[in-house]
Amino acid sequence: MDLIYAFLEQIGASSSYLARWDVALALFVGSVGGVLIGAIPGVGPAVAIAILLPATFSMDPIVGLTVLLGIYGSSMYGGSIPAILINTPGTAVNALTTYDGYPMTTRGEARRALSLAYSSSFFGGIFSVICLIFFAPILAKIAPMFGSREIFLAALLGLILVVTAHHKHTLIAAAMACFGIWLNTIGLHTASFSKRYTYDQSWLSGGVNLIVVVLGLFALSQAFTLLQGDDEKVRLTKLKGSFFQGFRELARHPRIAGVSASLGVLMGMIPGVGEFTAQFMSYTYAQKSSKRPEDFGHGSSEGLIAAETANNAVPGAAMIPLLALGIPGEALTAMMLSVFYVHNVIPGPQLFQNDMDFVVALYLALLILNVLVVIFLLIATNQLIKVVKIPNRFLGVCILILSFVGVYSLRNSFTDCILAAAFGIFGFVMKRLQLPVVPIVLGMVLGGIMEVKLRSAMARVKTPLDFIDRPIAAILFVMIILVLILHFRRVWLDHTKRKANEWSTSHASTSFPAILSRRRNFILTERGKKVRGKRKTFSRRSTDKS
Amino acid sequence: MSDEISEHPDRPIRGQILFAALFLICALVLLAGIEEQTKWLSKKSLFSQPRFWPAIGVGGMVLFTALHFWQLPKKPRTLPRWMREADWFQWAESLFWAFTALSLSLWLGPLRAAPYVGLIATVRLAWLFMHWVDRREFKIWLSVFEWAGWFLAYVVLVPILGYLPMTLLFAPLLTWRIGYRSRLMFWVSIGFALCVVLVFKSFLQVKIPGAAFYEHLPGALRSFFILNF
Repeated sequence: MDLIYAFLEQIGASSSYLARWDVALALFVGSVGGVLIGAIPGVGPAVAIAILLPATFSMDPIVGLTVLLGIYGSSMYGGSIPAILINTPGTAVNALTTYDGYPMTTRGEARRALSLAYSSSFFGGIFSVICLIFFAPILAKIAPMFGSREIFLAALLGLILVVTAHHKHTLIAAAMACFGIWLNTIGLHTASFSKRYTYDQSWLSGGVNLIVVVLGLFALSQAFTLLQGDDEKVRLTKLKGSFFQGFRELARHPRIAGVSASLGVLMGMIPGVGEFTAQFMSYTYAQKSSKRPEDFGHGSSEGLIAAETANNAVPGAAMIPLLALGIPGEALTAMMLSVFYVHNVIPGPQLFQNDMDFVVALYLALLILNVLVVIFLLIATNQLIKVVKIPNRFLGVCILILSFVGVYSLRNSFTDCILAAAFGIFGFVMKRLQLPVVPIVLGMVLGGIMEVKLRSAMARVKTPLDFIDRPIAAILFVMIILVLILHFRRVWLDHTKRKANEWSTSHASTSFPAILSRRRNFILTERGKKVRGKRKTFSRRSTDKS
Repeated sequence: MSDEISEHPDRPIRGQILFAALFLICALVLLAGIEEQTKWLSKKSLFSQPRFWPAIGVGGMVLFTALHFWQLPKKPRTLPRWMREADWFQWAESLFWAFTALSLSLWLGPLRAAPYVGLIATVRLAWLFMHWVDRREFKIWLSVFEWAGWFLAYVVLVPILGYLPMTLLFAPLLTWRIGYRSRLMFWVSIGFALCVVLVFKSFLQVKIPGAAFYEHLPGALRSFFILNF
């Protein structure tokens, strides 16, 4: 009973943060804006958050973070709309929704698919927030056990996971993470007051601003990509039926929904893993445990539930490493970290100990956001689907104009704009080559954390083993080793598999001497035999006595 | 020649060698300047050195990009016939690079010369493995500079003409440039520009300074425009 009273008291204290008109407006703008942004293919939450970041600096921390959280959490709801209706995911994490959503649309079940996507997303979102509210007291107890060396190891683990998560692009992802680490070192080294990589340029003394890099890599590069591309013709289908049928259908698959949401929460908590792993794991689980696995990829309701539930359970869980340790697990939470720093709210163990009300208020805001989004979608889907018709290249113009607000309003600096444009071009090239840009942002953020924490941790370490003599540090160290072993094992298996495929399908050389040699052998052996046999037949005298 | 490669079907081949080479060259240039651009303090431990993290960053860039470059599927370009046939040319070229690397090592010392030798090797390899698809891709990369130019022109002109007038001018102009010539799109772009200014500058009061042009406006209108537009 005491626990329940304490819990209710906590909720009561935290809700005072939310009972304000500006927070209510932020909740509304975040939820509706996030859905709209998600529904437009080619924009995505990263672009929107990057543009809005400087605008939120002038707001209260809870207001600014609610807007950004709203966009982050609700964009995936919106992203399922184009994924289901036109086979184009609105956000990158809705890619798996197209597997089963679009085939349902082609069967004339578009509304059923949308309804299932909304209900699954709602379940995933609510499940993760409820888990977090119940976990909060435990986190508050664990977080203080993280000292400098534990935070350093957790950041290192996050960086390694981000790199290894880019399967088949690991090397270039590692190079990009190192690029991020180097970018973060530019400017004045505060511990020794020496300049690093400034080339005696005054504009480099202050370092490279994370938001300028993020705006260039995400917003401007997307604008350039859209301006450079062509418009796509979109044909929408009419929606028939009730939007509530999805909730009834979801209730018939509690096991898949429960497991997928749990996987989403688990994967979200681990820095660097995120939505993709969560949804692929839950999709695979749903397929393996289904009575009709052959339907997956051809309009299976179970597949749609697994994908949507898992990806919507992640945003809430991703706030755990950010709030408890100050370690962002992906680009979006890395951007949010800068909002905390601007308002002098330092995420980490201290935040959980001193300002638990603020943390729970954020979770409550996420809870309310999910309810608002579902209500909005149930009412406005018929009108909302028209946004997918906005021409791509015009979207590019819009993003370019909005990016100006993001970059220029930071410090009114022309140099920042040039840097952002340079990173925009760099991001455009990376996008064309399908190379990862997220490790750059995480390298910048985690690199900074690692530098500070390692320096303070090493002051108390005499032998290398001292570094991992505390239980959490030892666990993190073992996890790092395990992740590396598993990664190298996978690389080795991929290599042997590729070599086996190469040998099994290797064709003969096409070089001219080889052709001549094969032709000569053929003439001398197989064809020679045939020709000699034929000639023998013609020259042989008949032995018939007719 | 096909744009796709068989070994990495998830990634286009065009431009990969060029990108890896350019990134590696930049990383090597940074590595070559590490002594000049960072300090090594005598009384500090390794992890507190100002050079430690830049070295991790730049070293990692060089190492991982070099490995990435090495594992990319490569096919030597077709050299001109006289080059292929002339043994002396290939000998002379190899000797020239070996001589350059050796003299650099003698002049700077093997450790300091390493980035420069790597740089020469990268340029040589990139030249050997680049094809016409890379050149075509490079032209596409260059074409993006036009949009970056539009953006920077907008940035330069806002403090002169003002946020509202410049946005009202910029949006329809760029819309026209990308090929939308209809009246509908013209008004849509004007409407969008107006909304952006009203939301961000007038309502959210985002930090965008008043323009030089507003100074010429009469009394009350001047301060109203500086504050809101």
